[in-house]
Order: sequence, then C-alpha cells, then structure tokens
Amino acid sequence: MTLEEADQQSRALAAAGHVEQAALVLQQVLAGGNGPAKMWRFLAVLLKHLHRMEEAKAIQDMLVRHFPGDLPMRFDLAETLLVTGDFRRGWREYRWRYSLDHTKAMERLVQRPRWEGEPAPGRTLLVHDEQGYGDTFQFLRLLPEAKRRSGARLVLEVNHETLEIARRSGLGVDEMLPRGTLPPRFDLHCEMMSLPQALGLRLEDLPGPLPYLLPDPARVAKWRERLAPLPRPIVALCWAGRPTHHNDANRSMTLADLAPLGMPGVSFITVQKGPAAEQAKAPPAGMAMTPTSDEIEDFDDTAAIAQVVDVLISVDSSPVHLFGATGGCAWVMLPHLPDWRWLLGRNDTPWYPRHRLFRQPRPGDWPSVVQAMAQALATLRDAA
Amino acid sequence: MQGHVRDRFLSTSLSSVQALQDALSRANQHWNAGHLVPAEQLCQQVLAAWPGQPDALHLLGLMAHGLGNLDLAIQHVRAACQAPRAPALYFSNLAEMCRQRGLLAEAETAGRRAVSMNNTLPGAWNNLGIILQERGNFTESRQCLERSLALQPDNVEVLNNLGNTCLRLGLGAEAERHWQRALALRPGYAQPHSNLAFLLNARGEHDRAAEHAQEAIDIEPRLADAYVNLAAAETARGRHAQALHWLDGLLAFAPGHGIGLAARAMVMQALGQPEAALDAARRAVEAAPHSDEARNALGLCLRDMGRVEPALAAFAEARAPGGQAAAKAALNHATLLAETGRVAEARQGLAAALAAHPRNAALWLASLEMQPATEAAAEQVELLLAEAEAPQDRLLLHFALGKALLDLGEDDRGFHHLGAGNALRRATLRYDADAMAAGLRAAREVPEVAGEADPLPVFILGLPRAGMALVEQVLAAHPSLHGAGALPHVAALAPRPETLGTEYLARVRPLAEGRRHVLDRVPLPHAGLLHRALPAARFIHVGRDARDLAFSCHARLFAEDLPFAYAPGELGAYLREASALADHWRATLPAAQWLEVRYEAVVSDLEGQARRMLEFLGLAWHPGCLEFHRRRGRVAGTGAWRLRTPLDAGSIGLGQRYAAHLAALGL
Repeated sequence: MTLEEADQQSRALAAAGHVEQAALVLQQVLAGGNGPAKMWRFLAVLLKHLHRMEEAKAIQDMLVRHFPGDLPMRFDLAETLLVTGDFRRGWREYRWRYSLDHTKAMERLVQRPRWEGEPAPGRTLLVHDEQGYGDTFQFLRLLPEAKRRSGARLVLEVNHETLEIARRSGLGVDEMLPRGTLPPRFDLHCEMMSLPQALGLRLEDLPGPLPYLLPDPARVAKWRERLAPLPRPIVALCWAGRPTHHNDANRSMTLADLAPLGMPGVSFITVQKGPAAEQAKAPPAGMAMTPTSDEIEDFDDTAAIAQVVDVLISVDSSPVHLFGATGGCAWVMLPHLPDWRWLLGRNDTPWYPRHRLFRQPRPGDWPSVVQAMAQALATLRDAA
Repeated sequence: MQGHVRDRFLSTSLSSVQALQDALSRANQHWNAGHLVPAEQLCQQVLAAWPGQPDALHLLGLMAHGLGNLDLAIQHVRAACQAPRAPALYFSNLAEMCRQRGLLAEAETAGRRAVSMNNTLPGAWNNLGIILQERGNFTESRQCLERSLALQPDNVEVLNNLGNTCLRLGLGAEAERHWQRALALRPGYAQPHSNLAFLLNARGEHDRAAEHAQEAIDIEPRLADAYVNLAAAETARGRHAQALHWLDGLLAFAPGHGIGLAARAMVMQALGQPEAALDAARRAVEAAPHSDEARNALGLCLRDMGRVEPALAAFAEARAPGGQAAAKAALNHATLLAETGRVAEARQGLAAALAAHPRNAALWLASLEMQPATEAAAEQVELLLAEAEAPQDRLLLHFALGKALLDLGEDDRGFHHLGAGNALRRATLRYDADAMAAGLRAAREVPEVAGEADPLPVFILGLPRAGMALVEQVLAAHPSLHGAGALPHVAALAPRPETLGTEYLARVRPLAEGRRHVLDRVPLPHAGLLHRALPAARFIHVGRDARDLAFSCHARLFAEDLPFAYAPGELGAYLREASALADHWRATLPAAQWLEVRYEAVVSDLEGQARRMLEFLGLAWHPGCLEFHRRRGRVAGTGAWRLRTPLDAGSIGLGQRYAAHLAALGL
C-alpha cells in the first residue's frame, strides 16, 4: 500500500468508527519511521482516541523534535501532556493555543509584557479571561494566588455575564471590568489561561480553597423557595453544551438520551440554556420534570441553584464549573476522549472534589454512561 | 472576542479640543489593552473631524504594525511625522519600522531626528542603536545603546542589543556580560541564549553553545538565529546530520531564510555531496537574493567544483556594507584570485576589503601573508590587537602581527606574537601527543594484503610544509601526469586494507583520462600499506631542512587539520617521529620505487630536479614543468597561492636566520 492510499484508507476507516483498524493501517506503513508529518499527526490522534496516550505522546514528541518550529504540533503535544497530568511541560506548550490556523485571529494583541509570575509590587497587572465561560469559572480560582505572588494592583477584565459573581467573590482583585471596557493604565498582563504557566500550577496544588465563587444570598433564597415543593433528591440537568464549541458533537446529547434517569422519588429541573432547553417541554416519560431554564436569567441563578439542588447531572459544559466553584456537586458525563482538564482513568477530579465523573466506556456510548448514572441516582435517592 | 468591545461614540462635531484629546487618549488605552475595534473607530472619528491629525495617524500606524502590515504602518507614521509638531516618539517609531522594512537610510534619518528632538527617550536611543548596528556603524551604535541603558538600566532588550553591537566590535567578553545580565533579569528571554550560543561557537565551546541554542529554541521555537547557531555547533562537532535536522527545522517555518539556506549548502558540502550543496546554494541565493551568506556559500560550492569564474562572481556580489558575510566573501574572493595566479588582483581586493572592514582580523592576516608588511600595517594590527577581546580575533591578529614584525626585522617581538597565536590556537584543540607518536610507530607494522600491481598511482609524501604541493604542481604540468591534489581516499580506505588497492584504483582511474599516472599527496604513515596494496606504485618523498620546516610550521595558522603544530614541544616531537618514520620507509621500500627529492634543490635547480623526477617516472622531458606556476585552475591549501607565482628562495634559510629563537623553543 502506498502512503497516499494508507492515508485515505485510515481516514475512511476512522470516519466509519473503526479507529483501531485505522491506526493499524497507519502503523504498518509508517513502521519504517518515515512518512509525511500529517499522517503521523493523525496516527497520534487515533491513538489518543484509543487511550494509548504514551504512544501518542511519543509520536507528538517526535514530531515536535523533528519540526521544532511547528507551533500547532506543540499544541497537540500540550493537550496530551495535560490530559495525562504532566502539567509542568503541558502548560509550557499550551502557550501556543493562539498559534493554530483557526485561533490566530483570536489572540489579543496586548501592548504590554506578559506577566511570568514574578513579583511586581507597585505595578498594575491586567488579567483578562478568554473564550468559554467554563474556563473562566474554573481558572478564576488562580486570581488570589496571582495577587499574592505579584503583589501588584490586580485588575480583572472578565466577560459581562461573570462580572457580578466575580465582584461578589472578591478573589483578591482590586478592580473588575466587563470585557472590552476601557481598562486603567497597566504595566503587565496575563491571559487567564496563562496563569497556570505563570504560577507553575501543579496537580497537587488542586483544588485550592473552595468555594471561591460566592452566590447571591437573595437568589439562593428565591430558589430555595421555588424548589421547596419538589421532593428530594432534586437533580438539575444540562445535556448540551454551546453548539459552536469545536467538540460539541462529541460532548452533547439530548434530553431523551437521559430517559433512564427518570425514576420515582427523584425531581428534575433544568439549567440547560440555548435551543436545547426546548426539549424540557416534552420530557421522557417517567421523569418528574420541572422545566426551569426560562427562569434562569443569569449565572447568579445557576449559582443559587447549585446551593439548593442535590446534584447537577451534566455534560462537559459551564454549569459543571459554576457548581464546582460555588461548592455544589455535579456528576459529569464525559466522552470517551474527554477534554484535557478531566484527565483519564479516574472517576473524580482534582479540580472539584465533590464532583463525580462518568466516562464513556467506548466512543459514543452514552447509554452505558446514563445507565451507570441511573444506578448511582437510585443509590442517592435510597440513601436520602 | 473583539466583537464584544464597545466604546461610546463621539459626537460628530468633535467641537472641543478636550473632546479630541479624550478620544485619542481612550484610543491609546484601548490599543494597549488589545481592543482593536474601538481603538480604530476612535482614530477614524478623529481623522474624520480633523483630516491628517498626527496622533490618530500614528496610532493607526502602530495598529497596522501590530497586525503585520508593515507597509501600511510606515505610510501612516510617515504621514504623522509630516505634522509640524510631531513628537520625537513618532520619528523613533518610524525609524524602527523602516529598519524592519530594510529602509536603513530613512531609518537612520528618522532615528537621528528623534534623539535630536528629545534625548531622554530610552526607546529612541535603542532604535537608533540597532539601526546603526545594521548600518555597520558599531562605535556609534554602542554609544546610542549605552545612553538608552543609562536611561533604563534594567531593560533586557537594550542589554541584548548592546551585547550584539559589542560582539561586532570584537568585544566578546563585554557582550557576554550584557547577555548574562539580561538573562539574570529575565531568564525566559530567548535572544540572549541564542547570542551566547553564537559567541561560544566562535570560542570553540560547542557543547555549551548547543545548550544555549537549544534553550533558546525551547523558549521561542521560531527564533531563527538559534537554529543557525545550533546547526553551527553540530557541524563543528562533526554531527552533520544533526546540523541538517536543525536547518530543515528552521526552513520548515522560514523557507526564505538566507543564512539557514546557506548553512544548509555548507552542510551538504561537508557531507560530501557537492552537487546537492551547489543546488542548495543556488536555491539560497534565489530565495534570499539580499543574503551575502547565501552568495558566499554559492561561491564556495562553485569554487570547490573547480568553477573559478562563477565562484569569483558569486563572492563579488556579496557586499553589504559592514556585513560579516561580506567580509568573509571578500576574503574568499581574494584568496581564490591568489590561488588561481592573480596575486596582484588579490592584494588589491584585500586592500579594498580592509577599507570596508578595517577591524576584520582574518582580512588583516590574509593581507599580511600575501605581501611584505609596512610599518603602518603593523601599527594598525597592533592597535587592533590591543582592543580585541575575542580569542578568535586575537589569535588571527597575533599571527598577523608576528609575521609583520618578522618582515620588519623585529624578531623578538615577532616570535612573541607567533608564540601567543600558537598558544591560543592550541587552547582550542584536543590533541594527544602520545597517541600520535604511538600511531606513527605502529604504522611500521604493515598487514599482509593482496596487491594490485598497477603503476597508475604516484604518491607524494613528506613532513608538513616540506614542499609536496610544489613537487606536485611541477609534475602536474606534464601532459602524461594528472595532479589530483591530496585525495581523501587513502585515509578513508585504510581501515579495510584488504580492499584498499582495488577500491583506490576504482576511484582514481577515472581521474587519469588517459594520462599515465595520477599524483596523490598522501599521509606519511600509509606508505607501507600502500606499497603492499599497490605494489607497482611509486613514491616521491620530499625532504627539507629541518629547521626551515619547523619555522614554517610555527609561523603559520593552518586551514588544514594539523593539531601538533601549535605547541613547540609537541611540534618538535612530531617532526622527530615523522622523520624517523620517513627514514624507515626509505630503508624498507624498494629503492627503484622510491625517490628522494629536496625542496631546496627544486628551488635552486628546478629543471634539474624536474628532469630527475620525470626520469624516475619514465617520462620524457616537458618544458611546461618549468612554467608550472602559469598553469590554470586553483591550487588549494595554506599558502598554496605561492605556487601560482614564480619560485623564489625567500623561505630557504629562515631556520638558520631564526636559529636562536627556534632553539629557545626547543625546535
């Protein structure tokens, strides 16, 4: 088989879900050690999907050594390093996240040096959040440490939707601004997702003080009252992430997929936002559903719900982080190859000790995940 | 992300100066924070109210620059600088943008304007400093960068730039201090690591150079210089494949990188692939037409393929003022002229090159080697030596000054400098004198091998500097003889003695092109083995006065690999061992196939000795042998250009003249 044929065949096999055979085809033609970089790169992706992380890492490492100036290949390696818990090298290569074809235009051209973790008393440090809400909730925990380490006047520029809860939580920040407003004069800046690298964040540093985001007591009271009539346990549901997320097809599901969770003695509400929230109007039979999505105005409502319900059952989306950051409990449904932050081979997460992870045993196998959750939910109900 | 950014729009009238100032101030703050959309909107509104408003134009220029549109940026900032009250900062930014665009003359004008308007801007002095560095005006560049540093003592970029200028001034130790300080202030700064790698390579500390270059690449994977420096460290350590790997890594993201392409050509050359090297050099010139490194590499590839005129043309085209590569190319140009018999042109070329690069040590050495020294030249070299810090420069200047002082009759000082030059060279070498002596003795044990009785090869051998190249050139003027130079084959094939004869003949036969013999200068230790493997081959051994020979070795910096030549004790020991080995071969190889020739005899009676040698080879007399120096083509090697000039006896008896100095050295 020529390299070109192997390339086409492996892509066809992978597209049809035959990842193992696809990897085998590539491994056979690449066994001599030669072959185009794009095929090696694809083989590494396939191996990651097969959870053969060490092999994938070896290939990506080899590619980085071979093409040291290729920044997208470094980012590939970063994701593998992080998912296997190698934070030290992982954060270092993660700095190339704005050097990919589809992210280049997203890098913010800040005209001041980046903070590298050094003491900076008497100076002003601007920290700004990046893309997803979930990332922001997850990494806001690092702001008090950034303040302590830098000794600088700390200015946080954060998305409008997160501003209120961030202000209320303090986080060691001296001044908070909604994203895009005119910041005060500053000397140094740091993207929120560059803080781990600047601070040298290690796995054993997690989770840090919890909770670090504080809900609005008035909203908590409102939701306590609102949900008081529902029999416990009360489960909040979120089954779809932001549809524009690059990996959404892999992480999102439908409410109907969650039908096995419906059982006597368990109440369900929804924190799902976006078009998928509509599905709550026709819940699966046997699911005691109180659709609440329309009553959620902002993240303060979600944070308040986190204080009232017994558990959030959710795909990998921002409410998981908001629940964790405010001390709530979530059960997270993860695809077979999850985002790097969930690591591998464990059903807990160092980021949020109360959370439980339910992983697909094989690619696309949501039914097994839901089945396992249904059992756990029954146990929770019976213990209550 | 930028779509989220909002700022209040201005009233369309912008009636008050206050409103305009406010808008510009907010535009600047937005730009600093990375909010491009409101920054641009505010600028455009200011310009709509006040066409040509310089502050708005300047900021638009910065934004265009930040987004990678250099031409548009220059256009905006140039226009901003047209305003009568344009501040120094705008000229300074225009200067830097012009430098990045290669518009060095405009850059220098704008940079000087900036510091004359305001001499307290550290950035303006820094920008002018690096422009002057690129213009080759290192002294003034250093002054500018030192002023910048005085205004901002902890600015790591200025420290890095100042280090670069110091390096160009030959002040390696000072450059190193600046780079180390920059790294102490900011350990994750890639540039000083790469620059240190360059410096360490020049000092021969290739392992440490490689570490620094690797660190630079880890920090900044697209720092092109670091790849070039790492490849240089690999090449110097003989790891050509690794060098190629780093250069390919560089060219993967910077396909038009002139120095990288040129270095790649030189690596192919070192890997013994001249055609591929030439091809790479051609592509280098094509991809980087302004790169002198590329032209120099092309010249070297052409030269080594015997294509003299195209090589000279390639060297001549490298002429960026003050450029390091241009100086190298000028030296290669002059040397090639001399090596092809155009010595007068070579001297003129070196004089012109020294006018352009008056501090270049290699040019001074070449120039003094090629003509008797004047008092003025010796003084200039002495001044340079007093200021030079880089060991490589000091080494070259010591040899140059030593030669010059001997020319001028100042023997004591001359020998002092030759000694210093030798010691510096010795310090860069790894050489085991005992192993060498043992090797020369072990060569007498010759293995039994099957011979190929072919009379084609004629081997010329002797001690270094004995005159083997001269003998070869005299004989090679004969139509039945081909002078092959010093072929690498014997050394390469010697480890497999049983196939040496057949393999050697297979490689050499195509060179003969019908001529009866091929002349090859071979290392003395291989004579015994060569006689076994090629029993019909003949040997011409060239001898020379021992003290003349010792002086010649001591007085020269060799391009070739002669590691024993730089410490008098080691040199003396080597010459004694090698002479003993020559005596052994003379006594043991068949007399009919061994001819002794004296260098002094060839110089004093060329015709008599040429006839003697031709007779030994069974060839008829050919008068061309007397005109050997008129032969065309290049003769390569340290000092070999002399073989393109008529013979003179100038180097005979120098051992006698300097007997006392040589004796003091134990030679």
